[in-house]
Formats: sequence, C-alpha cells, structure tokens
Amino acid sequence: MKRILPLAAIEVFVWFLLLAITFLISKVAIEINLGTGTLLARIATQMIRLLVSGALVLGWLLAWRKVADLYLSKMLSRR
Amino acid sequence: MLDSYSALGVTFAATFVATFAATPLVAKVMRARGIVGVDIHKVSKIEVPEMCGLAILIGLAVGVVAFSITVPSAVREAAAFIGAVLIAGAIGIVDDLHPLGARTKPLLTAFACVPILILGTYIPYPEIPLYGPVRLTIVYPILIPIAFAVTSNSINMMDVMNGAMPGTVAIVAFAMLGVLLWSGEVRTAALAAGLLAAMLAFFYFNRYPSKVFDGDTGSLAVGTALGALAIIGRIEAVMIVALIPHIMNSFYGLSSVRGLREHREIHQRPTELLPNGLLRASNQKGAPVTLARLILAAGPLGEKEVVRAMMALTAVSSLLAVLTYWLTVFVR
Repeated sequence: MKRILPLAAIEVFVWFLLLAITFLISKVAIEINLGTGTLLARIATQMIRLLVSGALVLGWLLAWRKVADLYLSKMLSRR
Repeated sequence: MLDSYSALGVTFAATFVATFAATPLVAKVMRARGIVGVDIHKVSKIEVPEMCGLAILIGLAVGVVAFSITVPSAVREAAAFIGAVLIAGAIGIVDDLHPLGARTKPLLTAFACVPILILGTYIPYPEIPLYGPVRLTIVYPILIPIAFAVTSNSINMMDVMNGAMPGTVAIVAFAMLGVLLWSGEVRTAALAAGLLAAMLAFFYFNRYPSKVFDGDTGSLAVGTALGALAIIGRIEAVMIVALIPHIMNSFYGLSSVRGLREHREIHQRPTELLPNGLLRASNQKGAPVTLARLILAAGPLGEKEVVRAMMALTAVSSLLAVLTYWLTVFVR
C-alpha cells in the first residue's frame, strides 16, 4: 500500500493536469474559428483546433513523463 | 425480445460461461500443438500455453450473438463491436504465429476500426470534461484509427505479468459499465458487461501462477474492445482517464526507448528476476520506464504483488474516470 500511494498521487496529479488541459482546449483551441461558409474553411478550422489541442496534449504527456522520471530517479538513487 | 437490462444480464452470463468453458479447451489445443510461451518472471521458467486469448474472442462472440438475439434493434452496434474485436484478434493471431514489426502492429490494429466507420456507430461530437460536446465532424473519423491503435497497443504492452491484463481491464470494464448505465447507454453497457464477464472468466486461469497466456490474440482484441466501447458509448475522455496506468506504461516505455521498437530490439529489461523469485527494478539508465519498473523502484516484490499494485492503480484511475464523467454531466 505504501508504495502505491506516490504512484496514485502521480495519477491524481496527471488527472488534474488533464482537466486543466481540457479547460485550456475549450478556452483556446475550440474558440478558433476560420469561418463556416465553405468546406475548406470548416476543414481548416477543425485541423487547427486539432493541432492546437494536440500540442496541449503533448505538453500534458511530457509533464506527466517528467514527474514519473523524477520519482523513478529519486527512488533508484535511494537504493 | 427482452428489455435492455435483461439483455445486459444475458450477455454477461453467456460471455462468462463461454469464456470459462473455452479457455481450458483452447489451452489443451495450444499445448498439444506446441504453442507455448516461457513464463519469464519465474525462476523455474515453466512453459505455459500461448494464444489462449482465442477463448476471449469465442466468449465475446457468443455474448454478442446472445445480445443481438435478445435486442435485435441493437444489432448494428453489436456487429461494429464484435467486428472490430475479431479483426484485432486476427491481427493478434498473425502476430503470435509470425511476430509483426514494431511499426506494423500499431498500423494494422488501426484498421480494426473499419466496422465502426462502415456501420457509422459513432457520433462525431466527443464530450470534453468541463466543456461539453465538441463538433468534430470532419476530424473525428480520422482520430478513430489512432484511438484504436493506442488502446489495443497500450493493453498489449500491459500484458507482461500473470493476470495483469484481465485483472486491470476487468476493473476498467466495471467502471465503464457503471458510467454507461449512468449515461443511459444501456445497449453499450451490455457490451461492457460482456467484456467484464470475459475478463473475469479469463482472469481465473491467467492469474498468478498463470495456467494460460492470452498472447497478442487476446490483448489486441481486448484493447480494441475498450476503444470500441469508448467510441460507441461516447465516453472517450472517460476511457482515457480510466486507462491512465496503461497509457503511462506504454507512453513511458516507448518514449524511454525513443520510439516504436520490437522487444527483441531492446537489450535492457525494465525489471530483473532475483534468485529468490522476487522482481527488482532495473538500475540501468537505458532500460524502458514501465509501470512495473515504477512500482518496483521502491524495492523488490513478488510478481503477484506487482500485479496487485497495477490493479490498485487501475482502481484509482477508474474512480477518477467516474469523477470525470460526473464533471461532464455537471456542465451540461
């Protein structure tokens, strides 16, 4: 149980971070609108939304990895 | 014709009985044909029948047929679900018999989504927590194959220790069953009940010490089943949260060895087997950062305890997934 707690804490941290990222996606990525008049404009809008969201999700994954790396190196150095 | 709730019970029972009955039979056939794998986390290095995930495919197929008979109006969803599962299972069979390349496998598993695309059992308005549904009519069909490749290969990469795959997926399936019932998606919930039943039945044989291995046949099919549930049931974000330990395991593993690589190409193992049968996290810098290595970083443990820790972490993520769904409902 003792060894699960720090990893569960990482999970909760990652979850909070995910909520923050989805909030950012809703406030930044989804607000992008290049018009809905033509099919090209609709495709461009959705592609840019996807790219911005993708960049935010990548940041989430990298932050997650950093936390796990820190935990691993700290635990291994104790041995 | 039964109501959807009764159909859920029928699907659960049919899948459980079929998987439970098929697993020892499939294991017998595999052993007789010499299709066995070495249990690498045991000092004795015993051989265990491989490819027994075929029993999961049989169980799910029986369950879905029972579901379709009891609720004929849901045959489209049922066909899309089992179609995707069987395609992934077929890729798994090929991979078990003639190992596929590290890049070929995710590419092929992405094609498992074809039945969902053809039958149109998706709604391109995914629910974003704290925001609500987002219109992605053009991009969504492009994201479906990626989602399938991620779920199937994440479950595949978690399938490294006795009982880890069915044990963790049973917890996720149980949480998804609850969320789907809460959201009123009773038909998709019946499919989740089928997956839960298959995992419980298979866990009986696959738990420590394993009498059967599911192989890529089972793990790719089960990962695809989760992807299909997420898309058909419109619980994409909730599923991502539930699969945090699995994504953690696969993403860290891949990023620490710098990209997609077949396990034969990776010379350092994340864990080491000690002479007393305990497992220890590798101290080598280039070793993949997997969930097992993170769990073992605090000190050596037995395989059974590592799997219990994986299941406990999946229980935490599944609870967070239910909370995520509550947040999604909250903003509506």
